[in-house]
Amino acid sequence: MLLAAHRLSHYYYALLPPKRRAPGTIVLRLLIFVGRTLAVILAKSDIYHATMIDEGVHLSNDGRLTIGARRIGRGTIIHDRVTIGFKAGAGIDPPMPTVGENVWIGSDCVIYGDIEIGDGATILPETVLSMNVPARAVVGGNPARIIAREFDNAGLRLSLATVVAETEFVPSCSPSIT
Amino acid sequence: MLAVHHVIRADFERYLGGNALSARRAWSAALRYPGLQALLVYRFGRVCLAALWRPWWWPVLPLAALIYLLAVASIRTCYGIRLLQSAQIGAGCSILHFGGIEIANCRVGRNCSIAQGTRIGSRTDPCGPTIGDGVWIGAHTKILGPVSIGDGATIGPGSRVIRAVPQRALVLGNPARIVFPAFDNSGIQPRG
Repeated sequence: MLLAAHRLSHYYYALLPPKRRAPGTIVLRLLIFVGRTLAVILAKSDIYHATMIDEGVHLSNDGRLTIGARRIGRGTIIHDRVTIGFKAGAGIDPPMPTVGENVWIGSDCVIYGDIEIGDGATILPETVLSMNVPARAVVGGNPARIIAREFDNAGLRLSLATVVAETEFVPSCSPSIT
Repeated sequence: MLAVHHVIRADFERYLGGNALSARRAWSAALRYPGLQALLVYRFGRVCLAALWRPWWWPVLPLAALIYLLAVASIRTCYGIRLLQSAQIGAGCSILHFGGIEIANCRVGRNCSIAQGTRIGSRTDPCGPTIGDGVWIGAHTKILGPVSIGDGATIGPGSRVIRAVPQRALVLGNPARIVFPAFDNSGIQPRG
């Protein structure tokens, strides 16, 4: 539902001409406003309409998301009460975070600044993140630090994933059948 | 103590980004910012509470109380902003995003900025925090207990404040630690 509301506002945003405030665009800007208001009503969420969200992204329907990102890659799972945005006081047209593919973002995270989160990274709940994250790393804590590297989060994403992971998930604790 | 129309004027000016206040800009700001709507409803509740001590307002008071309660309920369900009347919020407050804001049993000074997911004070604990003027409070901050925060302090995102913060300090982390003892937050405050 939340993603559908964002798709609506993003679709009309993509139709806007380069001169945003041109007089003929009042209908388009009104439709963008309608999409963002739907996100508010459905999930108490505020998603910036220029954010590019790829297919297969799962946004928590519990909501309270505040998202302003450059791009969110496919297969990413974002839980509730997550804030993604630019750094305060970054000026006009500030740089926003870029989230890679197959990232798992836990609840209550705050992610801000001109950063990039690598593919397959895992961000634990209640992390305050303002630095680049390498691919397949696990970050957590406040302030954030890298807890583990080369972690496969396919198991975490399994229950919610709408895009099947490239590698088949094999739980490490399962007995090998030979 | 400012009169209530000066307080509301200061609230509007905070949201206009340095532009002069006009009726058209005020309308567009009130439609655009959920935080401003919540603040206006909160100020209306303050007026209703003050009218309790003025008997010539009593005939309209039940209607005003009904409007206030309906407005508070809709703000809470639509945006998740709860500004309780047990909190004293100073003039020129700025709430830019919405969701999970709860302010109760505390004193907030003038020209403060409050971000989303912030909890200041508890509904059940009567002795809450005291926050000075010009404090910038980041996202997902929890300020609980009888702590005092000095003027011009900056509370970083996601921090849990459990002890006093001196003036103009920048605190970060869980539990909050002083990162810079003298930090100027005029660059990150919204203009106005």
